[in-house]
Amino acid sequence: MSADMLVGLGLMVPELILIATALVLLLVARRVKGTQVPLALTVAGALSSAWFAGAASCAEAITGFGGMIVQDGYSQFFKVLIAMALLLGALLSVSSVKRDEIPRGEFHALLLLATAGMMISVSALDLLTLYLGLELTTLCSYVLVGIRVDRKSSNEAAIKYFLMGSFASAVLLMGISLIYGLTGSTEFTAIATALSGGAAQSGPLLGLAVGLVAAGLAFKVAAVPFHAWAPDAYEGAAAPVAAFMASGPKAAGLAALGRVSLVALGGASELLTTILLILAGASIVLGSVIALSQTNMKRLLAYSSIAHAGYALLGLGAGTSAGATATMTYAFFYVFMTLGAFGMVVALGKRGRNLDGYRGLAEQRPLAAACMLLFLLALTGIPLTAGFTAKFVVILAAVEAGHVALAVLAVLCSVVSAFVYMRVAVLMYMSPASESAPERFPVSVSAAIALAALVVLVGGILPGSLAPWAVFP
Amino acid sequence: MSEYPILSIATFLPLVGAALVLLGRSDAFARWISLIITLATLVVCLPLYTGFDRTSSALQFVESANWIPAWEITYGMGLDGISMPFVLLAALLSVLCVGVSWTAVGSRVREFHAALLVTETAMIGLFCSTNLLLFFVFWELMVVPMFLLIGVWGGPARVASAVKFLLFTLAGSVLMLVGMVAIYHSCGSLDFVVLAEAGIPAEQQAWLFVAFLAAFAVKVPMFPVHTWLPDAHTEAPTAGSVILAGVLLKMGAYGLLRVSLPLFPLAVQQFLTPMLVLSVVAIVYGAYVTLMQTDVKRLIAYSSVSHMGFVTLGIFTLDQAGVEGAILQMINHGILSGALFLCVGMIYERTHTREIADYGGVARRAPIYASLLALFCLAATGFPGLNSFVGELLIVGAAFRSGVWWGALAIWGVVLGTVYMVWLFYRVVMGPTNPGLEGLKLELNAREVAILAPLAVLAVALGLAPDLVLSGLHASVGELLSTGGLR
Repeated sequence: MSADMLVGLGLMVPELILIATALVLLLVARRVKGTQVPLALTVAGALSSAWFAGAASCAEAITGFGGMIVQDGYSQFFKVLIAMALLLGALLSVSSVKRDEIPRGEFHALLLLATAGMMISVSALDLLTLYLGLELTTLCSYVLVGIRVDRKSSNEAAIKYFLMGSFASAVLLMGISLIYGLTGSTEFTAIATALSGGAAQSGPLLGLAVGLVAAGLAFKVAAVPFHAWAPDAYEGAAAPVAAFMASGPKAAGLAALGRVSLVALGGASELLTTILLILAGASIVLGSVIALSQTNMKRLLAYSSIAHAGYALLGLGAGTSAGATATMTYAFFYVFMTLGAFGMVVALGKRGRNLDGYRGLAEQRPLAAACMLLFLLALTGIPLTAGFTAKFVVILAAVEAGHVALAVLAVLCSVVSAFVYMRVAVLMYMSPASESAPERFPVSVSAAIALAALVVLVGGILPGSLAPWAVFP
Repeated sequence: MSEYPILSIATFLPLVGAALVLLGRSDAFARWISLIITLATLVVCLPLYTGFDRTSSALQFVESANWIPAWEITYGMGLDGISMPFVLLAALLSVLCVGVSWTAVGSRVREFHAALLVTETAMIGLFCSTNLLLFFVFWELMVVPMFLLIGVWGGPARVASAVKFLLFTLAGSVLMLVGMVAIYHSCGSLDFVVLAEAGIPAEQQAWLFVAFLAAFAVKVPMFPVHTWLPDAHTEAPTAGSVILAGVLLKMGAYGLLRVSLPLFPLAVQQFLTPMLVLSVVAIVYGAYVTLMQTDVKRLIAYSSVSHMGFVTLGIFTLDQAGVEGAILQMINHGILSGALFLCVGMIYERTHTREIADYGGVARRAPIYASLLALFCLAATGFPGLNSFVGELLIVGAAFRSGVWWGALAIWGVVLGTVYMVWLFYRVVMGPTNPGLEGLKLELNAREVAILAPLAVLAVALGLAPDLVLSGLHASVGELLSTGGLR
C-alpha cells in the first residue's frame, strides 16, 4: 500500500466508518431482526463519523488518492452536517420501521451507504469521484423510497424517481464527458486551469457542457425545472425516508454544486451563475406558489424544500466565496428545520399526513404544536429562528452580487410561503380538533425533534454561531 | 445613570414571565404571574422617565454587548427623547391588557398570557433598539404572538383577519429586510448612530426609503394599505385591540422617525408631497369611512386610520412643532384608542354585541361608565384641556406652515372627528335605554374602573400639562431634524 493510499484512506475515515457499519449490519441483519441494534449501530456510526469529520484538522486542504478527494473546511463542514442528518433521520425512523415492518438491518445499511455517498461527493475534487458519490446516494435512495414493497404508492414513487434519476445521471455524465473532451481532464483544478488558460474553446460546446452538469446537479437538489420527482418521491416514501432525502442529499448536492461552480467551472462563471440564478428564481417562485395548493403535508414540505433549494442557490448564484459561505449556512440550518418539520409529520403518524390532521393540535399537545410552529416560522424565515439567519445571509449574498431584483422576488415569495406555513399554524391553533389526541411520541423521535429545535433556536438567537465553520476555503 | 441594564430587564422580564406562565399549571397562576410581571416591568420602566436627561439628545441608558461578532453587529439598547415615552406607554398598556383579560379570556388562559407577555417584550425591545437588526428582530417578533392573539381568542371572523394581518405585515417587512441587507452591504454597519453619521449613499436612498416605507406604512397604517386594520382590530380580543391600536400602530410611525428621517433625508424630501397627500387622504377618507360604521369596534378602528393620518402629516411637515405634535399625538392616541377599546370590550363582555343599534341610553344604567366614555370621546375629538387638543393643534399649525391646503384638510378631519365621536357617544350612551339592554348589569366593577382610571388621569394630565411629554422631545427632535439638512 503506497503512502498516498494511506493518506487517502486517512482522509476517508468518516466514510469508512459508515461503510463498515453498513457492512456489519448487512452481515448480522438476520440476527438483529426486530431489535433496536441496527438503530443503535447507525446512531453510533453517525456520531463517530461526525466526530472524526469535525475533529479533523482542516487548517489546510489535504488531497488524497492522487487529487481525487480533498479534506478541507468545506468538506468537513458538510460531512458533519450530513452525519447529523443521518443521525436525525435514523432516530425519526423508529416508529415507521416498526409499523411498516421494514427490514431494519437493510434499511439502516442503506441509510449509512447513502450517507457515505454524500460524504464522498462533498469531498470530491474530481468530477468522476463526485459522480460516484452522488450515484451511491441516489441508488440507495431509490431503494429507500420503494422499501415498503407491499405498497403500490411506494413502488410507483420509486419507479418514477428511478426513471427520472437515471436520466439526470446520464445528463450529468454527458456533461462530464463533454468537459473532459474540452479540457482533457476531470480534475477540478486541471479543468479550471484549462478554462482560464484559454486552452479550451469557449463556445457553444462549453455552454452545453456547463448546462448539462448544472442540470444534473440541479436534479439532485430538486431545483426547478428538475424538481418534478421530489413531491412524488416524498409522498410515496415513508415519512422518515422523505425527511432524510429532503435534508442530507440536498445539502450534499448543494455542496457539490458549490465546489463545481467555484473551483472547477470558475472559468465559465458568467454562464454558470446565470444558470444558477435562473434555477434559484424559478425554484423559489414555483416552490412557494405550488405549495399553496397542497393538502398533503409531505407534498407541501416537498414544494417547500424546492423553494428552499432556490434560496440556497441564491448564494451560489453570486459566484463568490462569500456567496458559497452563505449557501453553506443556508444548507446547515435548512437541514435542521426541514428535519424538524418532517420529524413532526413522522411523530404524528397517520394524522401527520394531511393538513387536516393538524387541526386542534395546540390544545391536545401544546408542546408538539409549539415545536411545529417553531419549524414553520423557521421555514418562513422569521427572526430568532435559524431560518432568518439563513435567509439573511443569502439575501446579503444576492445584494452584494448586485441581484437586488432577485432578492426582492425571493423575499416576496417568502410572504407567499408564509401563507403556506401559517395555514398549518392556523389549523393547529385556531381550529377545533377533529381527531383524538396523538399517541405519545417515541423517545428517539422526541429526541430528534428536540435536537432540531435546539439548533433552530440557537442559530436564530445567535446568528453568528456558525460563522467560524461556514467558510468557503 | 443606572448601574444595571435597565432596558434589557424591561425588555426580557416579560419573556421570562411568558416562560413561567407556560410552565405553570393553573389559569389563576397564569393571570397573577402575568399581572405581577407586567406591573414589575412598569416599575422597572419608571426610572426611565424620572432619570431621563431632558436637555440631551444623546442616547441614554445605553447598553452594548457582543452579539454577532462575525458580522460585527452588536446588541445595542438605548433611549432618546423620542423613544422614551413609548416604552412607558407599552409597559402601561400591557398591565391594563392583563387586567381587562382577567375574566374576558376564559379559554387557553396560559397561552393567552404568554402571547401577551411576548408582545410586551417585542414592543419594549423595539423602542429600545439602537441597531437596525435588533429593531427588525423585535418588529417581526411582534407579529407572531399578535397573529395568535387575533386568531385564537378573537371574534367570529378571527382566522381570516389574523391571516390578513400576518400577510400584510410580512409583505411590508420582507421589503424592509432587503433594505436592511442593502444598508448593511453598503455601510457595513446597522447601528443607527453610525449610519446617521456615515450617511447612506444618495443614489440608494430613494429605493431604500420605499422599501422601509412598505413596512412602516402597513403598520401605521397609511392609506391605501390600511385595509387589514379594521378587520384585525374588530376581531381581536380586547387586549389585542388595545395593543394593536395603542402600540403596534405607533411602531410604524416610530420607524419613520427612527429610520426613514435620519437615514434617508434626501429621499424624504423627494417624497414629501406624496407622503403629505397620503396623510391627508388618510385623515379625510378615514374620517368619512368612520362616519358610516355601524359596529362600535370597527368605528374606533377606522378612526385610528384618520388619527394616524394626523401623525404622519405631522412627521412629514418636517417642522419641530409638527414632529413633536406627531409624537405627542401618538402617545395620546395610544392612551385614547386603548381606553376606547377597553370601554367597548368591557361593555361587550356584558352585552355580547358590537352593533351601535343595539345600544342606547347606557348612561341611565351605568353612569360611571358613561362619564368615563364621555371623557375619552371628548378627548379623542380634540377638546381643549384634554390631551389630543395640544397634539392636534401643533400638527395643524405645522401643516398650515407647510401649505394652506394641508392645514385646511386637516381641520376638516378634526371637524369630522368631532362628528363621529360625538355621534357615537350620542347613539350609545344618550337617549332612551335600548330594550335589549334590560336585565343586564352594565355598570363597571371596581377592577374595570381601576383599569380605566390611569388612562383617564393621563388624558387630563397631558391635556393640562403636555410638557410632561413635550419637554423630553425638544432636544431629540431638534437633533433629528438637523441631520442631513431635513429643514
